[in-house]
Amino acid sequence: MTTHHDPPRDVSIRVEHVSKIYGDFAALHDISFTVSRGTVCAFLGPNGAGKSTTMKILTGFLAPTSGKVGLAGFDPTDPDQRIAMAERLGYLPENGPLYADMTPRELLGFVGDLRGLGAALPGAIARVTEQCAIGGVMAKPIGKLSKGYRQRVGMAQALLHDPEVLILDEPTSGLDPLQIRDVRALIRELGRTKTILLSTHILGEVEAVASEVVVIHEGRLVFTGSVAAMRGEGTLEARFYELMGASAAKKKEVA
Amino acid sequence: MSGLLRPRVVRAIAGKELRSFLGNPTGYVFLTLFIATSAAAAFLDDGFFGRNLADLATLNRVIAPILMFFVPAITMSSWAEERRAGTDELLLTMPVRDLEVIVGKYLGALGIYSVGLLFSLANLCVLLYLGEPDIGLVFATYVGYWLMGALFVAVGMIGSMFTSNATVGFILGAVGCAGLVFAGSEPWASGIVGLAIFAGLGALTMLVLSGVAGLAGVGAMVGAAVGFVLWRGGGEGLWGGFEETFAGLSAPAHFAPFGEGILRLGDAAFFIGGAAVALYLCSLLLNRRHW
Repeated sequence: MTTHHDPPRDVSIRVEHVSKIYGDFAALHDISFTVSRGTVCAFLGPNGAGKSTTMKILTGFLAPTSGKVGLAGFDPTDPDQRIAMAERLGYLPENGPLYADMTPRELLGFVGDLRGLGAALPGAIARVTEQCAIGGVMAKPIGKLSKGYRQRVGMAQALLHDPEVLILDEPTSGLDPLQIRDVRALIRELGRTKTILLSTHILGEVEAVASEVVVIHEGRLVFTGSVAAMRGEGTLEARFYELMGASAAKKKEVA
Repeated sequence: MSGLLRPRVVRAIAGKELRSFLGNPTGYVFLTLFIATSAAAAFLDDGFFGRNLADLATLNRVIAPILMFFVPAITMSSWAEERRAGTDELLLTMPVRDLEVIVGKYLGALGIYSVGLLFSLANLCVLLYLGEPDIGLVFATYVGYWLMGALFVAVGMIGSMFTSNATVGFILGAVGCAGLVFAGSEPWASGIVGLAIFAGLGALTMLVLSGVAGLAGVGAMVGAAVGFVLWRGGGEGLWGGFEETFAGLSAPAHFAPFGEGILRLGDAAFFIGGAAVALYLCSLLLNRRHW
């Protein structure tokens, strides 16, 4: 494993020796990394590397088989702390699952009710509607929206309560180039004030939005540090394949 | 930290379930079918006019089998659809407790059932048109319908938790409710219900002890084997009261007093307690994602 150590800063996301075992299969094997407050960190790895599993553990949806996690100073594996943690977390799960029979307005209302936004809800909806540019589709059923709009609605629900930490699982997956540009711009903007961990298997995305990077492969951590440190003297792509010990097939998958 | 169940959260989830069901044409089809079936069972039976009494006795005889199919149609997508669409991950990573989600979903489904039951009060209008029904008797009967539905909704939700396919969720829910309908009808039926419960307990014990979902089947087989030995071991069975014990789970038997106008606390406790046990099982099953 290659690591690059920056000066210690306030840690917002902490993963310590986390493993996740399903029967005989180790989805994650002794993963450790931290993400400092106020940074955009890309979580990089090929499909099936364990990115989504790690994110599900960080958000408290799954529990690790062993190891510890912390987010915004709370332990997601503790039921009461998980609630406090979730109040500070915005999460966009993989493939942006949303209630297809709801309109974006209904969904945001529902999420706002769950989050107890109360009188602040109309203002919050207006803010994320503008941030995510979904004003034109607020009254249409989500199931009838394009993939790009659904992803934006997913972002909007994640941002509704102005969270301190954002976890985005492949936020640009399935989007066209213009939509990708817009989402990346939004992430860069949000990254000025929030801690963001976003998973991707697209190297260009790392350079476009992130300052830090965590790389995993087959459930094992292979790099954590700054994007510049990972790139070194060469290119990010060359370094990535070097870290992967990649076959030509794997290169094709990531391209 | 605020209370165990925050009304705001439970209300939001129950409201979502209600809107989702009633905002869907399929929901109205199911409600219409329930009303039509209950009316047909109440009045199209020859016995109704033969008895010359303005009551719901003919419906009472078949209400349990009707609910056995109708209630799982309400609950079948309760969890299965969340799992299929992946929205369970969205919901369960919000600042909500598992118990709040379970109770919210339960109250939503129970609300839908209550709406169906409310519409079926058209049966009372027919009775009023045909004769002079005993309103107290009809009231007690409807309390019984509602309590039986409250239990079946909780059992149906368990069925929906095992799968991401709503049809499979319906079948599993109907099988669970069928156990409560057929227990007590025949000694062998009570015995089979007992075996199924032992198998379920075995699976659950294995899951809790090992934390490995794949071993649940082994636990189920061991549980069923233990149950069989208790029921039939040595010819007479090691547990003489096996069939009688599980006959006590008969929903129609616990409903019968309500149909006669008698509100018995023990019978109400059976339905409410059964629903509480089923919801507890739901919370265990929901927690299995951490295993």
